[in-house]
Amino acid sequence: MWLRRLSTDRIERRLSAPHNAPRVVIASIEQAQRIVAMNDAAAQLRLKPDMQLADARAMYPSLPVFEADFDADRNLLEAIAGWCDRYTPLVGLDPPDGLFLDITGCTHLFNGEATLARDLLTRLRQQGFAARAAVADTPGCAWGVARYGRQGVVPRGGNEAAMLPLPVAALRIDAGTVADLKTSGLVTVGDLASRPRAPFAARFGKGLMFRLDQALGRTDESIRPRLPVPAAMAEQRFPDPIAREEDVLGTIEQLAGRLAAVLERRGEGGRLFQVALFRADGTVHRLELGTGSPLRNPPRVRKLFAERLAVLGDACDPGFGYDMVRLSAMVTERSDSIQTGLAGGDHAEELAHLVDRLGARFGLRRVTRLVPQDTHIPEYAVAAVPAHAPAAFLSAKEQPDDQAQDSLFPVRPLHLFERPEFVEAVAQVPDGPPARFSWRRTMHHVVRVEGPERIEMQWWRDDRGNRLARDYFRVESRTGLRAWLYREGFYSRQTPHPHWYLHGLFA
Amino acid sequence: MGTFLGTAAPQPTLQRLREALAVLDPKLGPGLADEERRVELSAPIDAVLGGGLACGALHELAPAAPFQLGATTGFAVAVAARAGTGCGEVLWIATEFARREGGGPYGPGLDLLGLSPARLLVLNVSRPADVLWAMEEGLRCRALACVIAELTGEGAEADLTATRRLSLAARDGVSARVSGLGLLIRHHATPVPSAAATRWSIAGAPGLPDRLARRSGGLGRTRFDLSLCKNRRGPSGRWLVEWDHHERAFQPAVSVGVAAPALDRPDRAPAVRTA
Repeated sequence: MWLRRLSTDRIERRLSAPHNAPRVVIASIEQAQRIVAMNDAAAQLRLKPDMQLADARAMYPSLPVFEADFDADRNLLEAIAGWCDRYTPLVGLDPPDGLFLDITGCTHLFNGEATLARDLLTRLRQQGFAARAAVADTPGCAWGVARYGRQGVVPRGGNEAAMLPLPVAALRIDAGTVADLKTSGLVTVGDLASRPRAPFAARFGKGLMFRLDQALGRTDESIRPRLPVPAAMAEQRFPDPIAREEDVLGTIEQLAGRLAAVLERRGEGGRLFQVALFRADGTVHRLELGTGSPLRNPPRVRKLFAERLAVLGDACDPGFGYDMVRLSAMVTERSDSIQTGLAGGDHAEELAHLVDRLGARFGLRRVTRLVPQDTHIPEYAVAAVPAHAPAAFLSAKEQPDDQAQDSLFPVRPLHLFERPEFVEAVAQVPDGPPARFSWRRTMHHVVRVEGPERIEMQWWRDDRGNRLARDYFRVESRTGLRAWLYREGFYSRQTPHPHWYLHGLFA
Repeated sequence: MGTFLGTAAPQPTLQRLREALAVLDPKLGPGLADEERRVELSAPIDAVLGGGLACGALHELAPAAPFQLGATTGFAVAVAARAGTGCGEVLWIATEFARREGGGPYGPGLDLLGLSPARLLVLNVSRPADVLWAMEEGLRCRALACVIAELTGEGAEADLTATRRLSLAARDGVSARVSGLGLLIRHHATPVPSAAATRWSIAGAPGLPDRLARRSGGLGRTRFDLSLCKNRRGPSGRWLVEWDHHERAFQPAVSVGVAAPALDRPDRAPAVRTA
């Protein structure tokens, strides 16, 4: 599909002025302001792309000119691609102004390819986009026909017939090659295809022949989809848009039921679900949701999306309603039905459900478990791993041996500060324990001390700073505050004035 | 590190056996299938509370002074360790601000206090209102033995209505095998009225070095100076207890060097009872 006038359409959609006035979009190319896009009215004035603005102005002094905004064009193309998801989940971008839609197996939903293409173009025209579309066996052929041929459906196997009369530019090759081919008298694809291949390959490189083969269907070309392709999906269209939250959730539950049937046959459950809500005016809302364990129970899916919708609130404004809802299982995982034990089974399931609900509300990364890590540096000794991670990540590395832990285990605080807090401490001797320290503007007199426990930093990993060894002390103040303090660096050997930090609190 | 004399962690084998037994037979667990289940603390406290800290209820904890936050969460962890000896996970909810302000729960430290980090689920949220929402969800879930939530600042979000909701959720969540205990830690004591069953003010108390520690200059066991400021079912009081992380039990402690009770507020702070 080719959006012929993407840039000017984008600008004109914003303007209230009549759309038939000539407009051009310019950008600075090679030290000159040149026309990069124009609308139909401007094209009729014999303005050409790549023309210098000065020349155009000489012809038409009052020509309205707009600065090019390639990012906005790109975003618009992405938005249109998102909207095109209503036809097929396989939509590929073809910047700057094209889209590929793989409609294999989708056409029966729209009564055939021709109807689908017509529906697409009509809806785009209603939204103010001039578009041309062609349906063909290969992306290359569709590309050429949409731009240079008669748009419509190229019959199966009719690639050659459709492509041969087209100009060589229809082969998706750069302008320089097109000009070279023209000077050598090769105007159409047919001229090129009828000549021996080797000289062309030698003159223009393999690219030209590759494009020719792609267009004629001699090599395969796959569309790179813009979004990951779901493992399973179900969708529902509505003749009248729906807007109420209960309706949307009801639809999701119904779709989840259909999805569950598919997943159950495969013995799988979804780990990542996505709901795409296609608003009648073209906006698409996508809500993604991960689960802690493979899931296919429809009421649960509904409940999780209800949480997600509750959080989003107004960010997911239905406007005039949604005319299509699609539920996809993006990631699936094997899920064998487990026979619940007499004791523990229901608890595990209930816990998984709680994790899912909290994850749906706050994001799955926020629900974590503390997993011990194999390092002696206190702040890295525990990692917060998302609770929905595979069990292999959640189980701790084997403790060296239980006995060692049982007898003399280094004492660790209950609360650890992510960033150790600077304290002013006074010690009786520079490398001794602190006698008193001031933390958060309160002075604490140390009554009892345990330590030091010396922890060396990983100098071989840490290439800038933070290599000073730490001497940790567990101190108790007169008021009952138990804190974990450390002195950074050895006195005089590493630093003349060692700093003190409070790293954690004990119970 | 070898010179460092630490505190011994709970015996893992024994604990594992206890947990396995509790799964098989709830009666062997710490409590019974009853709406009136309690988490026993220590005999003198239990007498006041009517048998122990009520399960299926909300309890509020606040540090006696801002720097006593460690002791407050320590008490919460100790109660959680007692609440679900056999089964049931513990959900810890805090805002990101609370984590920066008071530090996050640290696995090895929890282990030393008797709560295995494997049983802990940590949730970080961004707003205090989310803390309450998640706490309610957690209390309703019958797979959780205990929900610990931290509120920073005045904690005005947890007003009478909110705490009433939480109490009801906790009552729904209590079951034969899990205690449905809600512990709300307020970083600052607040006069905001609350529907919680009890309200505690907690401070750490200087420990009594044990035999080993006296020789090596260690700190000894964790001690709490507990003040029960509000009790819906009985009188308030103040106790000094010691946490035995081996047995996961509170022992009444002998008062050593505790500051004298405040004389200017005789009605609020009764004399320290020792046993």
